[in-house]
Amino acid sequence: MESLKLLAPLAWRNLWRNPRRTVITLFVVSVGLWSILAMASFITAWGQSSRDATLRLLFAQGQIHAEGYLDNPNINRLMDPPDTALLAALNAPEISNWAARLELPAVVRSEYKTLPVTVVGVLPEAEIRISSIPQKLVEGRYLSGPEDDGAIIGLNLAKRLKTALGRRVILMITAQDGWLEERSFDVVGIYDADTAFEDTYIFTGRAAMQTMVGLGDEISQIAFEVPEDEALEGVIASLRAAAPAHDVRQWRKLSLIMGAMDASMAATVYVWMSVMMVMISIGVINTQLMAVFERIHEFGLLRALGLKPAHVLVLVTLESMLLIGLGVLIGMLAGAATVWGLAGGIDLSAFSQALEAFKSGEVLYLEIRPMDYVIFPLAIWLLGVWVALWPAWRAAKISPVEAMRHAT
Amino acid sequence: MPSLTRRHLMMISAAAVLLPSVAMAQDPGAILRAAFDNWRATSSHVIAEMTIRSSTGTRSLTMESWTEGSDKALVRFIAPARDAGNATLQSGRRTYVFNPRLNQVIQLPASAMSQSWMGSDFSYSDLTKTEQLVNDYTHTLLETRRQSGHVVYVIESVPKRGKPIVWGKQIVHVRADFVLLRQEFYDQSGNLVRTMVTDRVRTMGGRPYPTELTMSSVATPGQYTKIVTQSAAFDIDIPSYLFTRSNLQNPR
Repeated sequence: MESLKLLAPLAWRNLWRNPRRTVITLFVVSVGLWSILAMASFITAWGQSSRDATLRLLFAQGQIHAEGYLDNPNINRLMDPPDTALLAALNAPEISNWAARLELPAVVRSEYKTLPVTVVGVLPEAEIRISSIPQKLVEGRYLSGPEDDGAIIGLNLAKRLKTALGRRVILMITAQDGWLEERSFDVVGIYDADTAFEDTYIFTGRAAMQTMVGLGDEISQIAFEVPEDEALEGVIASLRAAAPAHDVRQWRKLSLIMGAMDASMAATVYVWMSVMMVMISIGVINTQLMAVFERIHEFGLLRALGLKPAHVLVLVTLESMLLIGLGVLIGMLAGAATVWGLAGGIDLSAFSQALEAFKSGEVLYLEIRPMDYVIFPLAIWLLGVWVALWPAWRAAKISPVEAMRHAT
Repeated sequence: MPSLTRRHLMMISAAAVLLPSVAMAQDPGAILRAAFDNWRATSSHVIAEMTIRSSTGTRSLTMESWTEGSDKALVRFIAPARDAGNATLQSGRRTYVFNPRLNQVIQLPASAMSQSWMGSDFSYSDLTKTEQLVNDYTHTLLETRRQSGHVVYVIESVPKRGKPIVWGKQIVHVRADFVLLRQEFYDQSGNLVRTMVTDRVRTMGGRPYPTELTMSSVATPGQYTKIVTQSAAFDIDIPSYLFTRSNLQNPR
């Protein structure tokens, strides 16, 4: 402990004997950490934003289906509208909105092309509250009511079918009697989402669709919106209790890809962190080795004056602890400053075409997650000090005799 | 869908009692109905050659077909060896396809109905749609003209509201003796999409019969499907087992 009191000021002063080199190392460490922190914030914000945008499009935070519908979505696996118990559970305060839909696989035909699609029969007034599609119309109008037999199709689908607003398309859906029901639908609206979504979903009035395929009031799906992610598990449990015969799932289980993407976002940050770690390690080792080799005479003198090899090891390690610690502090400040500086949100609308594939919302809001500011700086500091043990060990090995013989 | 195209395929086999040319010349719906009845026989047995010119080259197929009434048809390819044995059965609302290499009968799903039939410019739904042109369209006689010694009616047919028809309109040329000479399919903006033309009319089975037909799409210039009838017999007795799935798979 006594020796630490002596060595710490010595280490601090040693750091500034070559200010240029120290500053360069500080720069490497702080920029490395800053990039990790900024990237973590950005990736988190991006993941959340794209997830929210996708769920907001149609899927919502959870869905209820008849048992088996998800394995084989067809007209024989439908369910009745919610009964009183389920209605009560759906109207719980945690659920902000819900919508009952009839979603069936279909084939759409124009003069030029025939394509497989999914037709969704909707209740427009419920849909306007839960889905962003009604706001994404670029041409025409949204559906006026459940009886509206107009079709809302995607921009890209319209292009592929070579059809346009006001023209007819034919929808073919397998009806309840097993026959293929064909009906002509006027295209009344065209929406703009991402192309994969546009190619899949066609919307029409729910009652109009039920009539077409010979159904009563059966539905295939209830989508529900839960604004607070923490409340989702509880909502799922209460819905399962209210409708034990149905299949209630949250979005992570409905779309495994989205669940996996959500989980892999964090992994991306760790990959970036390991890349940065390698660079920081190289920088630190290089600086410290140089510092040690330059001071062979000095270490010999210190040893001759009575410093033990362990003291030399501690001295050099202290130097790297201070050096990397300072760099980490600067990096944290820079990371936090970046997030505060972009508090107004990052407007991605300029890149919206390029980013369409990532299904992101248009403005990203970065935020500081406290755990990021503990884990990443600590990891970098510890790993940096650990790799700097090598030069320290080299310094400790220097004997006074060797040092005197060493040519300067 | 283009019901006439199907009739054309059927007319390969088609036949019917030649209706007396009653004085209905000015009613376009009746003209089309008569033309339709003229081609359709109670039954038929036809051998025809189909030439398909596509972007990858030209190939010819010989097919033998039987029809009975308006809802039963069997087409079996007999040459070349590569395609021989392939068969399509239409029975009521169902369409089955037999592939000898797989030794499998497949009932065509809805999504496949608009796929190309044997690589030709016809689709499976062209084969199955029957009297749609006559019943689901509103007809207007545009013009009555003389053409190489015959009176020809030019009829515009527009789909009735709500009918599941993609076309904006069809323009059909029918000769006064109820032979269809030309059928044009237009999209809903009025652009021509595809055309079927009768290249040659001969007397076959005791009636004027379009023995050479060419179907082509505007989008693929230079490509076409041509059907040449080689022999035809009409109003014959056809055993009922012919239009069954078991006969499709194991022809007697």
